[in-house]
This record gives sequence, C-alpha cells and structure tokens, in this order.
Amino acid sequence: MQKYSIFNLIKNAFSGHQNWDLAWKDATPKKEYDVIIIGGGGHGLATAYYLAKEHNITNVAIIEKGWLGGGNMGRNTTIIRSNYMHDDNALFSEFGMDLWRKMSQDLNYNVMFSPRGIINLAHSDAQMNVFARRGNSMRLNDIDAVLLNREEVKEIIPMADFSENVRFPIFGGLMQPSAGTARHDAVAWGYARQADSMGVDIIQNCEVTGFDVSGGKINGVRTSRGDIKVKKIGLCVAGSTNILAEKLNMTIPVETHLLQACVTEPVKPVLDKVVTFGAGHFYISQSDKGEMVMGGDLDGYNSYAQRGNLPTLQHVLTEGIAMMPFLSKLKMLRTWGGIMDMSMDGSPIIDKTHIEGLYLNCGWCYGGFKATPASGWTFAHTIAQDRVHKLNEGYSLSRFNTGHLLDEKGLGTKTWIS
Amino acid sequence: MLHIKCPHCGMRSQNEFSYGGDATIKRPELNKEISDQDWNNFVYNRKSLRGKHLELWQHLSGCRQWIKVERDTATHEIFKTLKANQDI
Amino acid sequence: MSQDFRLDTVGLINRDKKLSFKFNGKNYFGYEGDTLASALLANGVHLIGRSFKYHRPRGFFGAGVDEPYAIVQLYRNNETEPNVKTTEQELFEGLEATSVNCWPSVNFDIGAINNLLKVFLPAGFYYKTFMWPKSFWYKVYEPFIRKAAGLGVASIKHDKERYEHKYEYCDLLIAGSGPSGLASAYAAAKNGARVILAEDKPRFGGTLLTSEVNIGNQTGKEWAENIIAELKEMPNVTVKNRSQVFGYYDHNMVVMSEKISDHLPKTKKHHPKQRLWYIRAKEVLISSGSIERPLVFGNNDTPGVMLSSAAKEYLKVYGVLVGKKPLIFTNNDSGYETAIEFKKNGVEPIILDTRKEPNSEIIDEAKNLGIQIKFSYVVVAAKGYKKVNAAEIAKISDNKNDLGVLENIICDCICVSGFWTPTIHLASQSGNKTKFDKEIDAFVPGISKQNETTLGAANGKFTLAETLKDSFDAGYELSKKITKNDNKVSYPIVVEKNKTTHDKFWCVPLPKGKNYKRFLDFQNDVAVSDIEIALKEGYRSIEHVKRYTTLGMATDQGKTSNLNGLQLVSDMENKIVPEVGHTTFRPPYTPVTIGAIVGREVGKHSRPTRKSPINSWHEKNNAVFVDAGVWLRPRYYKQGNETLFEGSKREAKNVRVNVGVCDVTTLGKIDIKGPDAAELLNRVYTNAWLKLPVGKARYGVMLREDGIVMDDGTTTRISENHYHMTTTTAQAANVLSHLEYYLQLVWPELNVNVVSTTEQWAGAAIAGPKSRDLLQNLFPNIDASNEGLPFMGYLEGELFGVHARIFRISFSGELAYEVNVESDNGNFMWKKIMEIGKEFKIQPYGTEALSTLRIEMGHVAGSELDGRTIPYDNGLEGMISKNKDFIGKRSLNKKAFVAEDRQKVVGVVPLDKKTSIPEGSHLVRDVNAQLPNPKLGYISASCWSVEHDNPFSLAILKDGKNMIGQKLFVMSPLKNITIPVEIVSSHYVDPKGERVRS
Repeated sequence: MQKYSIFNLIKNAFSGHQNWDLAWKDATPKKEYDVIIIGGGGHGLATAYYLAKEHNITNVAIIEKGWLGGGNMGRNTTIIRSNYMHDDNALFSEFGMDLWRKMSQDLNYNVMFSPRGIINLAHSDAQMNVFARRGNSMRLNDIDAVLLNREEVKEIIPMADFSENVRFPIFGGLMQPSAGTARHDAVAWGYARQADSMGVDIIQNCEVTGFDVSGGKINGVRTSRGDIKVKKIGLCVAGSTNILAEKLNMTIPVETHLLQACVTEPVKPVLDKVVTFGAGHFYISQSDKGEMVMGGDLDGYNSYAQRGNLPTLQHVLTEGIAMMPFLSKLKMLRTWGGIMDMSMDGSPIIDKTHIEGLYLNCGWCYGGFKATPASGWTFAHTIAQDRVHKLNEGYSLSRFNTGHLLDEKGLGTKTWIS
Repeated sequence: MLHIKCPHCGMRSQNEFSYGGDATIKRPELNKEISDQDWNNFVYNRKSLRGKHLELWQHLSGCRQWIKVERDTATHEIFKTLKANQDI
Repeated sequence: MSQDFRLDTVGLINRDKKLSFKFNGKNYFGYEGDTLASALLANGVHLIGRSFKYHRPRGFFGAGVDEPYAIVQLYRNNETEPNVKTTEQELFEGLEATSVNCWPSVNFDIGAINNLLKVFLPAGFYYKTFMWPKSFWYKVYEPFIRKAAGLGVASIKHDKERYEHKYEYCDLLIAGSGPSGLASAYAAAKNGARVILAEDKPRFGGTLLTSEVNIGNQTGKEWAENIIAELKEMPNVTVKNRSQVFGYYDHNMVVMSEKISDHLPKTKKHHPKQRLWYIRAKEVLISSGSIERPLVFGNNDTPGVMLSSAAKEYLKVYGVLVGKKPLIFTNNDSGYETAIEFKKNGVEPIILDTRKEPNSEIIDEAKNLGIQIKFSYVVVAAKGYKKVNAAEIAKISDNKNDLGVLENIICDCICVSGFWTPTIHLASQSGNKTKFDKEIDAFVPGISKQNETTLGAANGKFTLAETLKDSFDAGYELSKKITKNDNKVSYPIVVEKNKTTHDKFWCVPLPKGKNYKRFLDFQNDVAVSDIEIALKEGYRSIEHVKRYTTLGMATDQGKTSNLNGLQLVSDMENKIVPEVGHTTFRPPYTPVTIGAIVGREVGKHSRPTRKSPINSWHEKNNAVFVDAGVWLRPRYYKQGNETLFEGSKREAKNVRVNVGVCDVTTLGKIDIKGPDAAELLNRVYTNAWLKLPVGKARYGVMLREDGIVMDDGTTTRISENHYHMTTTTAQAANVLSHLEYYLQLVWPELNVNVVSTTEQWAGAAIAGPKSRDLLQNLFPNIDASNEGLPFMGYLEGELFGVHARIFRISFSGELAYEVNVESDNGNFMWKKIMEIGKEFKIQPYGTEALSTLRIEMGHVAGSELDGRTIPYDNGLEGMISKNKDFIGKRSLNKKAFVAEDRQKVVGVVPLDKKTSIPEGSHLVRDVNAQLPNPKLGYISASCWSVEHDNPFSLAILKDGKNMIGQKLFVMSPLKNITIPVEIVSSHYVDPKGERVRS
C-alpha cells in the first residue's frame, strides 16, 4: 500500500497528483466469506480492520447499503471522551482513548485527533456534587478529570455567560483534559483503506434483504446483490438495528430516534474546548474549519427521517445562547439529522446472540462516534473468539434480564427523553 | 413541527404534546403470572420499525388526554389519531 | 462627485439620498437602495476578500443569495457581524465593512503563499500528512490550520439585539415575488384566499425588474409594481419583503426570517432586529426562481468574473456597470440580454457563444445592434490577478474536445452564463424526490410530497408566458380548493422574445501545457483537479466527493457549484447526472441568525422562573436562593456575614431545639378523586393503601415499571373518595402524567380523576419540639394534642379566618406539621406563623437546613432516588407490600436487584469526627490500591450533624447491610482528599423515630 507522508505528497505534486492509489477498492460480493460485517460505518469498518489485524481473519466482507460512513459516522459532532461514571463505560471508553491517540499513525491516515479537552458545566452545588461523583469515579479508574470552580471555568471559556443576566449561573464544571474531537469522515476512510489493504472486501450499495438461519445457526445473508454464504455475521448498523432485527425475528431493547446537529458559518478560532451545558442538553465545539458544531436533544419521537424539526433545534439553540450568548449573532449554516439506536439504559450492546454465528453491536445512543475504535476492537474479538472480551462484558444483551443496567443518566426506558 | 389532530381538541401543533412511545405495548395484567421474557418484552424490547407506527402522545398543554397516533416514522405522515380507548 | 461606474439615470436607486460608508478604512458613497456590493462596484472596487484555502483574491460573482464569496465583516452600531454577504446587505449611512480571511490586508495577504503552494495542497492533502511526530498534530499543525481557517471574526460580546417570533396560519404561502409568485398570489387573493407573499430582497418583482418583457400594456416592472400595490391593499394578503423562506418542515410548517432592521444604521427602539415566522400553510407555492449556472474555465475565480445575470441586475437595478469592456461568455441566450443592456448604455460588449449556429429573436436583436459575437468560442482562462484585465480565448471544436489557437482579448470583466438551475431547495426539503430534467440539464421537483407546488423557473419553466399561465392557474385552483370561491382573473397578454436551446457544455478543457485552476466552488477553492483526485482515489459517491473535496460546503452551500460538480463527476465516471444523484437539501436555504431562531427566550428568560407566593417575604428577609428545577427556593436566610454553612447550621439547630418554618409550596400536589382512588394508589404505590382511614396520611414510594424508584411523598385521605398526593418538586409533572397514563390507557375501568393542584396551595412546614404549641396558637379551635392530631393525622382549620389544611407529617424527623392554604393566602399564613412563632423562637429555614435535617435522620431524597436505585438500596424494602401487585413489582426479582451484596444506603462518619466529607466522593477499602481502584460506594449526601456536632454523610454502599461498623476510606481524588471513616446506620438521629410521634 502506498504510504501517506509529506514526502509522498510532494513527490506526487510533481506528477500532477496522477499517481495516487485507490484508498479502497469497490469490491463485488464473493459467494462465501468467513465473516460478513453488515454496516459500513465506523464501527463496521473498525471491526473488519481489527479482525484482520488482531485475529488474522481476512476473508471478510463489509456490506453497506449506501456509501461508506454515510450513517451516523458522517453525521455526528465528532466528540471523543471517556468521562463516564459507570466502570463498564469508563474502562471501555478509556481503552478507546488509547486507540484514538495512536490512530493516525496506526492507520497512516490523519484523523486529526485533537485532545483539546471537554468541560461539562455545572449550574448548582447539587450538580457540582453529581459531577464530583463522576469525576472521582473517573480518577479512581485512572482517567483524567479536573473539577473546576467558576473562576477557573471563566479563565478557560470567558465567552460563556458569567453575567448577571443569566438564568442558570455557572458554578463550575468537570473537565476531562484528554478528551477532544477528530475528523469523522477520515476515521471511516482510514479504516476502510487499511482493511482493504489487508484483503477485506468493501461492498457498497448492497442492501441486506434477509438472513439464512437454520438450526439456530447463521448460514448466509441475502442481499440486493445476491445471496452470500457465511459462517459469522456481525451486525453493526446503529440506526437500522430494529429493521434488521425484525428480519431475524428478534425484538431488542432499542428504539430508533433522530438526533439533529447543526453548524454555524465558519469564524476565526474562538473556542478551543468542547463544552456541554449543565442546565439542559447542549454541546458545542469549533471545528478546524471554524464552524461551531452544536447538538442537543433528540427530536423526541421514533424516527427514521434523516431530517429534523425546527422546534427541537430552537430548543437546543436556546440552551446554546443561555450558555454562550455570543452565539446569538452567528448564523446557522447547515443542519442535519442522524438516526440513533437508543438503548433502554443509554449504554450499548456488544454481544453474541441466541443465534449461533450472529453477533450484535448496537444501542450506541449519542455515543457511537467516540466508541469507534474500542467498539471495533472488542467486537472483532467477540466475533473471532466467539466470546466477549472483559471490556465488553458489561455490554451484554442479558443485562436487561439480570438488572445489571448501565444507566448513566437515570432516565430509564423513556429513550426519547434526553 | 408536526400538526397533530387531537381527537378531543382538533388540530394542534406538536409543541402542545408530549410523546409516549409505542402504543402497541400492552401492560401485563396485575397479579398475573408472567414469564421473564414476556415481562422484559413489555419493559424493554421494542420493534420500532420504519413506516407505520402506532404511538402514544399526551395532549399535555391541552386536554391532557393520552391519545394514539398512527404515524409514518420515515415521512412523519400522520394517518390517524385515536382516543385512548379506541383501537386501530 | 460622480462615480466612475454609475450610470446617470438607469436603476431603481434613490439618487437623491447619498449614503457614505467605509470599506477597509476607506470612505466611499453610494445611494439609498444600493447593496454594499452595488455601491462598491459603482466605486470600481472589485477586490473584496480572499478565498478559504489558497487566499486567492475574491470579488463579486452574484448579486444576491447565491453569492459564493463577496462576504465581509460588518460593523453596525458598535457591534460586528462576520461573514455578511455584500450582495444582500443593504447600504445604510455610516456602514463600515472590512475584508475577511486576509492578513495584513486584502491587497497584500500573507496567506496567499498558499496559492503558490497549491500544487502541494490538493483535495484531502491534510489526511495524508501532519502525522509526524505524533504529538504535533494537536500542538503545532492544528492550531496553525485553525488560525488560517474560518472566515470572519465572532465577537464574544453579548447580543444586545432583540429577535421575535410570530406564528401565523394562512391558506397559501408563496415564496418568492417574481412573475410566478405575483401571478399566483394575485389569482389566489382575488379568489378570497388568505395569502402570505414573501420576498427575500427589498424589492418585489424578481426577474421582472431586469427583463425586457411586456405584460398587458405595461412593462414587466410596471406590472409587478401594480400587482404588488394592489395586493398590499387587500385585507386577506400579507406581503413581506426582506423575508427569506428558509425551511420547509413537516406538515406544511414553513419558516421565514424577516430582516426588520439589518438595513438600518441601528435598530429602532422597541423594534426587533429580525423576526422569525412560523407559518402553517394549507398550500405552499414555491416560486423561488432559478440561479444562473457558471461556466468553468481557467482562473475563473478572478475578480471581475461574474454571472451575466448579476451584471444585468447591477446595471438595471443599481445603475452600475460592472465593467466597461465586458466579455460575455455564454452557452445560451441569457448572456445576450446582458450584452444588449451593456450596448444600450453605451458600452461595447463582446459575446463568446459556445454554440455553433444558434438562432433566436434575441440573438438577432444582438446582431442588429451590432454587438460583436464569436460563435463556437470559449474563454480558456481569465487573465489578471486581483482583477480581470484580459481573457485567453479560443475557438472550440464541435465535439468540444479541442481548442483552437489561443488568442488574447482585452476586457475588464467576464460575464458568464451556463444556463439556469431551478431553486428546488424548498421542494426538496418538503420531501419531494426531485428528478433530473434532461431538457434543461438540471433537477426539478417531482411529485409533491406535502402540499407544495413549484412554479415558474423553480419548476424548470423559463418562458414568461408559460410561467404566468401556470401561476395564475395554480393560484386560482388552490385557492378554490380552500375557499370554495370561484373568482377567476384573466391572463394578461405577454410579449417576450423567444429563445433557443442552450449548449450542454460547462467546463472548458485545458489547453495543452497549461495547468490553470478551474474552480467549481469559489469559497472553498475546489477545482476540477480536486474532483479528479477524489475520483482517482476512489471517493466516488457524490457524498464522498463532497466530503473529501469540501465541494458545496461553504457558506453559499454550493448554490452555484453543486450542479457543475455533479456534471463533472458524471462525465468522468461515464454516468448520467441523475445516477450520480445530488446531495440532500436541508434547511436552512440560507444561513439564519441563531438569535432569530431562539427569539425572546434569552438571558433570564431562557427558562421560566417559578416563585412561591411567599417569595417576596423571602427576598425581604435576606434569603439566598437556589434553583430547584425551574423553582427558586430559599437556601438559607442570611444573618449578617453568615456563610451558607453557618446559616444552615443555625437554622437546622433551631428546628431541633425550638421550631422552624420552611416554605414547601414547590412540592408537587395532585388532587385525586373518585370511588376507585384508593385502588389507584394501591396500584401506584408499593405499600398498602386500601385501608387508609379518612383523615390520615401515609408515606408512599412509587416505582417505574423497571423497578427503579420514581418518586416518594405522602398522600392524605381528605374524605371518602378524595385524596391529596404530594410529590417531590422535581417529579411533580412526571408523576401526574404517569397517573394519567395508567388511568386513561391501562386501567380505564378505574373511576378516578386526577388534577395538579401544585399552584393552588401554598405550604409551610413547621418543625421542631415547639411546633405543637405554635400550631395550637395558630389554630386555637383545633385539638392539636397527640391524641387530637396524631402522627400522620390530618385536620382542617381556620387560620385567622382563612381555611387551612393541616397535616402532621415530617421530613425533618422532628415533631412537625405542614399547613396548606390557598396560594393567595400564602403570604398571610407565613406572616402569621412568623408573628405567632416569635414567642417560640421561630426561625425560617431553607433547603440547606432541610437537607441537614433529613440526612442525619437517614431520610432518602433526590440524591439517593437518582433514577438508578431500587427500594432496597434506599432502605425502603419495608415499604414493599408482599400481598399485592403494583407498578414495577415484577422487576424487583431481577438477579442483580436481589443479589446478596446489593448496594444499600448507610451512614458515614469520619473517624476524626471533624473532617467534612465532600459529596460525590467514593468509598474504597485501600487508598493505595493500584488503579483502577475498586469503588465500594459513593457519598450521596453530606451534612454537619447538628445533633452530634460532627460531619455525617449518607452513602450508597455495596453490601451496605453487612458493612455497618466497618472502617473504610472516603476518597475524592478531584479534591485530593482521603478520609478514614466508619460505616454506621443511616439513621443517625432518633433511630426509633420517636420524635415524630411525640
């Protein structure tokens, strides 16, 4: 595979950039594979990459209904963090942070991981205590966390509202300095390029129409481009999990909802942290391009429409201005919607299923992007070894039976309330 | 913003309502033996399909009645709204 | 002073009103009715800014919303706004603007070095480099790139402007006031429909303002003016200019932003800057017109290259010549109209037409006027750096592959026309699956998805006669459907010049040996070669092309670049355009000010503030408030310089010793009535309710179906079929909906009604050993003795003539009562309590003392009932009835819930009895354990026990029931605190609960 570097870039410049290789090949489906990953998003691509890299399984196909990275991988707000309270979430995410830190070099593709830090603002002493509980838990799990008082927050993000005319004054915040952002598309493309180079078939525009299951065992998959025999299938289709689950006669603890995000016009650097509002649901960061990237609540009813409604955005932006009044003068340039797998306790599922050879990776709620490498890594392990890794033990399907729930927010099963 | 016809009050904007999830989920009867699987299906497991979806809304800032709405989850087209005691 | 490029008489500007303005520090003037763009062009200013990536000089390309790069930093009334389109910003007296994205100046921009290095910076170059050394991306490269990127500067000052919202219903919303908008509005209005006609520009009329046509006996412009004048007079019509319909949402909700004050030097008092209209329309007519498509050739981003329609608009609307030696480069007849206008105003244009032998009325007219026309000719490249000064042109072969000999031609502007792209954004937003029309080489709306109808140029119809007929018909038919009226207006006669077909040619090939950049996206510097690289590297889906090259992602959202990009991809991939498909159109059509989207809910009004009726007393008595959800509650009543710690300790102590009073109005209250009320409670609460006597209260816990505690509170049986439920402040609304859900949907057979009475009652808790004496004095006519009003008893009484409800309930663990009166009497009650209580040394107490009192008593509250705990965790297992079913009971047998070592609430006391334990700390066995250090539990609530005069905390601890007496450590690494502690019972004061019954 062609190596990407400044030298290569210069070399190619002199040949008019005519000699760049394909980043990945558009494969056509073979008759049979050892493993098929359904879903060419970040998680699916990462899973294929780690199957090849860590487990030497390369007779693998990724089949994608549309184009690579076109689902939530290309629709998120690119936040990467491990500031979780529950151990299962925290240790899993922190494992992922390590993968993020070396991802550009690993993939030889600049994914622009930018550990600029995330601050969760608190607007009452009670909230400071809740954050302290989370931050202390992080520290005891060897994850960086700093509790900031009002003055310290003001020093870092003076553009937040520290005036008198404020409904919910800032009391302080919880910061994870090592959290940050990355270029989402690049992550998908980087994984695709490496997976392809190790022999994985990347098949776009290929929709799954059914499964061949007999004797409690998966034998194949039916697609818009023909039937394919396969021993193992990894389902990696957050946003469409309910649809494929139906084809497998499964009902799962997941609902499908819409989350919107938006960006402003690009402006010169003004905010170099990821910041979340504590008296509502709003988060913001500034992209390398200069756009303020913002998100918040779900649209609030089951949805497969990749388009949102304005009242939700209005509500989200109201909280944005409450937090940073200067946003009022900026202009909203682009909005989009992503379809979320909302699990019933807000945490994901990476597990085997009752069907032999069928593995499930779903329920990422808002948190799928940051989990990309750790999800791929543990899912690859689960598929290759036919058993869960310690890191994804907590993400079992059975936890809803046993009561070992991982509810970070304490909102229960009303997934649409965020 | 959706426009929902409350069967009690007429056409109202979505911001008067709050959402209540899948309307086909039936709570098991009280004091009745039920398997773990059935109970978990009630509490946790959802179909949440693309297309027609019968769901609950409460006309919170209106008559406070819970109503059933048949809506397409992909297009948001509303086919029918029903009172709580009506079935599709 | 005259302006070099301004005509003396042509145009719609007001030459009587001169306006002075500043650009990049230099003074200029323009006229009322100018845009900043037209005023600058009148002054011969073409260099306006620098591009995003290569910092190449940028001028004006369009004349309106489609403008890809003429944006500035605007200064208005001591405020600054980034990225303002000069083509939309109306000129006002004193306007100041500066260029964006250049340093030190637009004339000499250091960043332009990127232009020299551009060969090393192709599409996606940043994905291939900046990776070594590893830490350099975040520390070195990224900050550099971030600084170079971004356009204007955002000031972090708070916005002083006001924005409003308006909600409107109408029969027909018509977006765009060009010929189709006017005709349909007129027809519908005359047929009695309620019409809103929106125009984004200051002037109504759209293309009628610039085209040479006749409607009836009038010019197009006169016809437009008359129609608008008539519409404005009609009571069923709302006509709005400066109003952009930017979003088409579900169920025919259309959103429009109206600029009220942006064109004024400052916003008038009591006026908003902008107003956002939420319009629910029965029918939506999209008459948004079309945008001229550029032609792609070498250095086509040079200032002076612009759309031919823009040049015509500058001339006809603003009386401005964009050049005096114009070159018109066209693949269709539209370019001729521009050339003719130049010619009529004494300027000699040259037309280069890509077509071989086109014939039409308008071409004949140009010929007759003596305009020089070169057929089968193309512009190969623009010459000049900061301004066009010549063009390299050549004859092109019939198959469009080969260029003839390159010729140089002197010109000062190049007006391009690549035919027209219908503005289908709104239709697409509505959900309309657009289709490709091969006749016009563009997408047009397909079958309507909602009630939208697209008309005129937006629908791909480019002749006026057809447009007007369709629009009169649509306005009539749609209004008839709604109003049932049948008043039809007759079509006017239209005179227009016929046109012939355009040439399917947009991208001029490179001549041999030349490496000109041919730009598609002018703001983001995306060139033909970038698309080639993307495709070569396998980024072949149009979405991949867009994301890899950033095509169409600039502030103009690709209005002029997307279609040429698509065309190029389809040519290179040997596909037809519709197979490549376009990216989805989403709102907003143009960028919308966030303040306008938010409206008035800013600052203190970002969320409502709820206050108890006693609030004014609290304010007067030095209460320090705390937010409890949207409620404001006194946290403590400050005496002198008291801290929160000192004040709350004093208040809590006074409750334990004397008597205190606390405003509990914010607690949720629900009135429950009906013969099945007891049955409802019995199903909702975990404990038994069927035998509660009238006049008695009971504590209850309710669960969610998943077994998690939802809320707790007391409910009192007021009379046979009447109960009064209280909930926590936070859960009040949820509990009511919860009850309504079960009553209406699950158990409709229960004959019960529920209603919120939170606002109806003001509540005061009086607590402390002297509370009975106080109560007796407040209510001399009741029997306040332990027999007359026992624990959990209920009475009604008269408080100095005011009806009151008296509950003997306690949260503080002391002998206590809660008195409720109607809200209006809340203040009266409170004052009486303070007045009569004086002799018992009464003090008001706030939420902090309330917390202290409940914590040392081991009463769980919000910090324990956090949506993650089951009754057992909270020591509430005694509340679970074994003899009946209730909501959530079936979940309680889950393996984790019944585990032997399940977490449970305990008390925690520091061994030194001095060190306060921070809330949110964790309990560990080994302070020095290797990380991750196993956590056994966490501190949920802490206080200074006023009873024991030492710190005391509650914790949720694993295997809590077996941990009493154990020594553990509290750790707060955030605060660098480690405290050795002992685990004790959560009931630290009065464990047998004798006081409440005393």
